[in-house]
Amino acid sequence: MRDPRSSWASPWLSGSIPVLVLAALPALLFVGVLLYFTLWAVVFSFTDLELFGRKATDWSFVGIENYERLFTRRGFLESLWTTLTFTFFSAIVGQSVLGFLLASTLRRYRGSMRGTIEVCLMLGWLLPDIVAAFLWSATTSKTGLVNQVILGPLGVEPVNFLNDYALQVVILANIWKGTAWSYLLYSAALDNVPGEVVEAAKVDGANGWQRTRRVILPIIKPHIGTNMLFITIWTFTYFPLIYAMTGGGPGSQTETLPIFLYQQSFSVGKLGYGSAISVAMLAIVGVMSIFYLRLLKEPK
Amino acid sequence: MKAPIQGAAICALFAGATPALADVSIMYPDWITALVEPAIEAYEAETGETVTSTRLPTDGYDRRIAVDLAAGTAADVVVLDSFMVAQLADAGYLASLDEQLADWDQYQQFMPALLDVTSFDGTAYALPVDTDVRMLWYNRSVFEEAGIEMPWTPETWDDVLETATTIKDETGIDYAFVLPAGTKQGEAATMQGFYMALLGADTAEGERNRLRNWEEGKWIADSPAIRQVAELYDEVYNQRELTEPSINYATDLGNATREALASNELGIFASGSWERSCLFNCNGVDIPSPEERAEIVGWTPWPSSGAEGAEQGANVSGGWAMGLNAGSGDMEAAKQLLTTIFDYDNFQPWVVDNGRMAVREDIAASEDFAANDYLAAVTELSANTTGRDTYPGYQVVSSLIQDMTGAILDGVPVDEALEEYREALVDEFGEDSVMTLD
Repeated sequence: MRDPRSSWASPWLSGSIPVLVLAALPALLFVGVLLYFTLWAVVFSFTDLELFGRKATDWSFVGIENYERLFTRRGFLESLWTTLTFTFFSAIVGQSVLGFLLASTLRRYRGSMRGTIEVCLMLGWLLPDIVAAFLWSATTSKTGLVNQVILGPLGVEPVNFLNDYALQVVILANIWKGTAWSYLLYSAALDNVPGEVVEAAKVDGANGWQRTRRVILPIIKPHIGTNMLFITIWTFTYFPLIYAMTGGGPGSQTETLPIFLYQQSFSVGKLGYGSAISVAMLAIVGVMSIFYLRLLKEPK
Repeated sequence: MKAPIQGAAICALFAGATPALADVSIMYPDWITALVEPAIEAYEAETGETVTSTRLPTDGYDRRIAVDLAAGTAADVVVLDSFMVAQLADAGYLASLDEQLADWDQYQQFMPALLDVTSFDGTAYALPVDTDVRMLWYNRSVFEEAGIEMPWTPETWDDVLETATTIKDETGIDYAFVLPAGTKQGEAATMQGFYMALLGADTAEGERNRLRNWEEGKWIADSPAIRQVAELYDEVYNQRELTEPSINYATDLGNATREALASNELGIFASGSWERSCLFNCNGVDIPSPEERAEIVGWTPWPSSGAEGAEQGANVSGGWAMGLNAGSGDMEAAKQLLTTIFDYDNFQPWVVDNGRMAVREDIAASEDFAANDYLAAVTELSANTTGRDTYPGYQVVSSLIQDMTGAILDGVPVDEALEEYREALVDEFGEDSVMTLD
């Protein structure tokens, strides 16, 4: 008698084991490729593998030593804190909130003003990171635009922003760089909010804030979740802009985890320790993703 | 047993990226373009083959070449900082030149002491491109504005700190004394900053001013000399705030000091003999004449800390080198390109025009080299020079030193920064290979 569970499959497929195995090969290969690099990192995180010298070829397993050092040596926890600050202010507060405000404000306008603002937003997003890094560094230098055009006329002494407010500057730069994404996503989401529902709330006497809070936000909640998921992961692992602008400095003021990982792996050359850092990052991002995915689920 | 598996995996991964065998390839940092490019043209004209050349910015070049060699994707001819040679040769990435260049008639001209720097276990693995000495450069117009007498001849670190403090007070510039620090500029922070101070820190007797004790075969985690240098960093960046730390992390790192000099924001700069041209342009494009440059900047040897028995003008030399990738697909072609670059007629003019110190006897003896005042003066400094502690593992030690200076610049107390340095050394080499000097 046939197993009812397999009734969905074509009898041709389920009838022959070799064909079945053959058909599964591409899928296995795909999963294998996905797991390959992660496993590589996990395995090497338990070794003292180095980039050059003896330990590049003659490495050995060192147990959980690398993981212990995440907590007992300076660097990881400090960088984790910097990364969380950077992610919270530049992605969650900056890009997401600013993107939503722009999307909800601009949808009332049609025509050239909206177009112009959209193009400007997109330009920041489209500009290569390295170019953006040089632009921001030039703009915030002591002889840069901010000092010349804004602070100078006000009689304020010129400020070297990348020296005195490095983290704030990279956060602002990332807000500028990434807001376009949130704006586009929220614009599309808001277009999907039925006009009648908002209209009905208005008739019921809800003011603007109440309509946003109680009607619009709940409707676009899944979009907010998706957006948060994306930008949190991106920002948490974001490297080029900060690295080009400050290299993690001055000192370690802007040393986010990706930069710390890069320094340890490729400057110091400790690939084993670097792998442990990347596995820890993977775990942290994983936990955050689960949090957002739960947020995405429709309440029953 | 592990290596072949790893090697096979890497080969499989990068097989697609290996350049075709017929071409010979070279990778080099931007600053050396004026030496490499004419040789590439000459090689192509002679052989009719094309050279695949990769020219990269100098910032971050060290990391790229190490990663490329480790991954098996490096060019056939590789340019690298000489301090990396021992380590990369130890890992088997570089071809032995004693074998490869035995029949090249110009090989004997290279000075043995300099080939030593690019050797490992008694075998040369790269040809030295240049060597250098280190000193304190100063900006003449800033000194004039601050009312400091020139020529400037400081005798102790205190003299330097006092001068820099005067500059800061009198002119209010941001970078009164740039002492290279932190991780972004890599080896420059270790060599131009930390090591130069270290050599003049404690009494010259008994090799106390080093990072490694060669007799005992141990890395030095803590010593009066290391402590004094750490305190010097603390003095410059925290106590007296003689320089804004950000210049060590500038977006356009290569240009930052150059720009600061041009806009008279830079007072004293701890760097090396190449700055004679590099403070303007390393490749000598559109720069003032040597006489005009001497009007803009002056230099003085590093003084000692002032401690008893400490040495004036002690120096450490490095330099760059060029070697052959052990995994090169066409060693003959690679060898020919290498010898074309180092051919006397290509190499000698570059050395003299760029004010580089000679690495070959015949270049040192050539007429226009000997007639150059600047080269004569820096060669004098090299009478009392040493090399870095390029025992395998040095790369890690150097990075940890950079970390330490970065931490101090961040405000970490000197004691804590030194303790963390010791811990990191023990992590890396084990308690038995690390020592403390009292």
